[in-house]
Amino acid sequence: MNNTKRMRKKMRNKALSVLFCVLVYLFLFLPISVIVANSFNATTSKPYMMWKGFTLDWYSKLFDNTLLLESFENTMIIAIVSTLLATVIGTLGAVGMYRYRFKGKGIINGLLYIPVVIPEIVIGIALLTLFSKVNIPRGMITLILAHVSFSVPFVIFNVRARLSGYDKSVEEASMDLGANRIVTFFEVTLPILAPGIGGGALLAFTLSIDDVIISYFVNGQTKTYPLKVMESIKSGVAPDVNALSTLILIGTIVLVTLTQSDILKRKGK
Amino acid sequence: MKKKRSKHEFRANTLPAMVTVGPMVLLLIFLVVAPLIFVAVMSFCQTDQYYNVVYKFTAENYSKLISPDYLKIYGQSILIALLTTIVCIIIGYPFAYIIARCKSKKKKLLYMLVIVPFWTNSLIRIYGWRTFLGSNGWLNSVLQNLHIIKEPVDFLYKTGTTVLGMVYCLIPFMILPLYTAIEKLDGSLLEASSDLGAKPYKTFLEVIIPLTSGGIFSGSIMVFIPCLGYFFVSNILGGGNTDMIGNLIERQFKSANNWPLGAALSIILIVVTLILVKIYQKLGGDMEDLGV
Amino acid sequence: MSRGKLFKRALSIALTGAMALSVFTGCGGSDSSAGKNGELNIFVWTEYVPDSVIKKFEKETGIKVNVSTYSSNEDMLSKVKSESAGAYDIVQPSDYMVEQMISQNMLEKLDFDKLPNFSNIGDSYKNPDYDPGNVYSVPYLGGAGAIVVNTKKIDKDIKSYADLFDSSLEGKLVVLDDFRAVIGMTNKALGYDFNETDKDKLKKTEEKLKQLKKNVVLYDSDSPKSAIISGDCSAGMIWSAEVAMAMDENPDVEVVYPEEGPYLFFDNWCITKDSPNYDNAIKFINFMMDPDNMVLVLKEFPYLCANTKAIEEMGEEYSSNPAKNPPEDVIKKGSYVKNLDSDILDKYSEMWTKLKK
Repeated sequence: MNNTKRMRKKMRNKALSVLFCVLVYLFLFLPISVIVANSFNATTSKPYMMWKGFTLDWYSKLFDNTLLLESFENTMIIAIVSTLLATVIGTLGAVGMYRYRFKGKGIINGLLYIPVVIPEIVIGIALLTLFSKVNIPRGMITLILAHVSFSVPFVIFNVRARLSGYDKSVEEASMDLGANRIVTFFEVTLPILAPGIGGGALLAFTLSIDDVIISYFVNGQTKTYPLKVMESIKSGVAPDVNALSTLILIGTIVLVTLTQSDILKRKGK
Repeated sequence: MKKKRSKHEFRANTLPAMVTVGPMVLLLIFLVVAPLIFVAVMSFCQTDQYYNVVYKFTAENYSKLISPDYLKIYGQSILIALLTTIVCIIIGYPFAYIIARCKSKKKKLLYMLVIVPFWTNSLIRIYGWRTFLGSNGWLNSVLQNLHIIKEPVDFLYKTGTTVLGMVYCLIPFMILPLYTAIEKLDGSLLEASSDLGAKPYKTFLEVIIPLTSGGIFSGSIMVFIPCLGYFFVSNILGGGNTDMIGNLIERQFKSANNWPLGAALSIILIVVTLILVKIYQKLGGDMEDLGV
Repeated sequence: MSRGKLFKRALSIALTGAMALSVFTGCGGSDSSAGKNGELNIFVWTEYVPDSVIKKFEKETGIKVNVSTYSSNEDMLSKVKSESAGAYDIVQPSDYMVEQMISQNMLEKLDFDKLPNFSNIGDSYKNPDYDPGNVYSVPYLGGAGAIVVNTKKIDKDIKSYADLFDSSLEGKLVVLDDFRAVIGMTNKALGYDFNETDKDKLKKTEEKLKQLKKNVVLYDSDSPKSAIISGDCSAGMIWSAEVAMAMDENPDVEVVYPEEGPYLFFDNWCITKDSPNYDNAIKFINFMMDPDNMVLVLKEFPYLCANTKAIEEMGEEYSSNPAKNPPEDVIKKGSYVKNLDSDILDKYSEMWTKLKK
């Protein structure tokens, strides 16, 4: 008797928690479903709110919207370049901070938290005032510089997490075997740090492609995809923007599923 | 002899240190420290009649910013950020708990499903809420078709809508650290507690919460602080009615043209941030936890 | 859309990675810094110059045009100032802003030998007070801050700006996100000058704004018609052409010109100081004064038009529609924004901060 009661209670708890999770996922995915639905909306009149029937037109019209595609290209260029730079600078920095002695390490360590903690808008206006004072024309270069500056700390933290469980003796062994420092770095240190570097790079890339606030202040006439969206929001988001967002989402899901399942498989072996 | 040693020291330590840490230090100096110092300087500057910045000392910007109108905006911003943080904890904690203690293989999938929505541009998702909540939006249509309401309800352009948008944008920053903290919990500890006769809620309050407080603190910091600066959420969902500090700063730089005033506002925001981080550290929070 | 073209597009996106590398090594050769390559950078209002017209210009002249948009004159001024000189070739300031930019030496004189289409502009639009003799500017479009009403949702008979302050309209209004327009409107509602400078009167205006605060739910200069069409707002003060567009979508929507006389604006084509593409910019401005091209503009954005030839081509339906072509007596009663002293202007922005807090 008591047992069935407990069982029932357990079942009820389980049902409740499943329901709760479903609701949270609904909340998270609701706007996405609006985006996907609107990418099939046949309406052609601004602000594109009324549902006028189903169409696939926007997916082909999208490829005529050169400005939109250009902004997406810009976003990809900025994300790739800034991720590369941030990953190199960040990895070197993390290794150097871990291994060598020098003055001001504590200060540098503290400074690293600034871009992480301070609201993006402050970083944005600070870079804007500086760039306009020293008269660097706003555009691709300033966007890349800004993105590098806010992603480096994230790379460093990721690599550092990996370094803390790192056995220095492996490197010493390599040096003892006659490899020089540079060979050791590439052949021994780097492979060990790879997961941390990869995680940091992925984070930097993600931050870069979705950045609105900092880019908004330092972009000049160069439009990134988020800024293009910001502009199109002013007059009602056109279904082709929704279509591109849907494609990007599908692309990332496929990409991640592929890489994830790959990792899982390897683990299985 | 001494020279030789210092030469060795140079090759073994100073040179590689410069090569590895150098680029990062340059980056920090030129793209983080210099701009912030410049903002601090500008916050004490004046403007001419055309709102060009004049480099002449004044404290007027700050005296302006302690007027009741501005204080009200700070209060409002902090209130919205606080509400957002609380809602994020209330929704995020049980949610993170359920998925972190989930034993099935689906755990990883459940975790990934939290992140997936955030691969779509945040602005367009916020705009999605506007479409959903509008007078002719999905929600009103559904409610009208179910005859729950007769006339469309105005959901948009309220303070509550801004909070909803903020929660939506920032909740993963609450869920993810909580997930990590809860996952680390030792299951046997919980069993011990219940074996010793503790009621579930007591176990929760006295064992689970203290053990995961680190996650709560770091999640709160990562929700609260960005919330103060997310001007676009209150622009899109709040209708421009409830300004936050972020909106004020944005306006000074983008339309009102008063850069020194905007700089002073930014300094205030930095100070608020630093105070919060200090509190966080005092509570035993680990700075490393804010990194991811 | 041919399949080949589609494939090419897809390929070009896929190759972005490779391009990125070239930027990386070549230190950003693709950076469009100040259009040395002859590309025209124009900075215009949102929802004001149709893409189709820009594409037509590109096709006819082979000159590439990069369009950026802004939402208020102050936005534009701020961005032009903070960019390096010549970042934008063409801007589109309103009346008072033209005057301000002239006095700050931010504009280039126009070469009228190369602007034969200027003859299409109506005489009443030439030689404005803000730029005597059209030395720096040629007029484009204008309009009024008109009252929009959805008669199905609003019972009250709205005739004036003052009526918008009525407590029955609580939570229903959309107004322009523009401090001079909204505060000016409030001045008018109290019977003051649109550009009132008397500090005692401005105190009363500040009080009056509190009533407005309750009524307004949305501040939007970019596309205020959206909120009217979607039903989120049922009345307000928005650009006259935006009312016209909302009327096309919803027959319940009406335009009202306030008894006090409306807020008026006129936007102009100007070339920025030291523009590196002066010749192309002049070509563009001349192109935009061609009646056929203006007809394309008016079909999409039905504003008050300075191009009399274009109005003629649009026909009776256009010129007799009060929202698209505000009647002359309305224009006569209206007022433009004037440049104010900085202490008064500070007062205005302070009032704006209070309104939006």
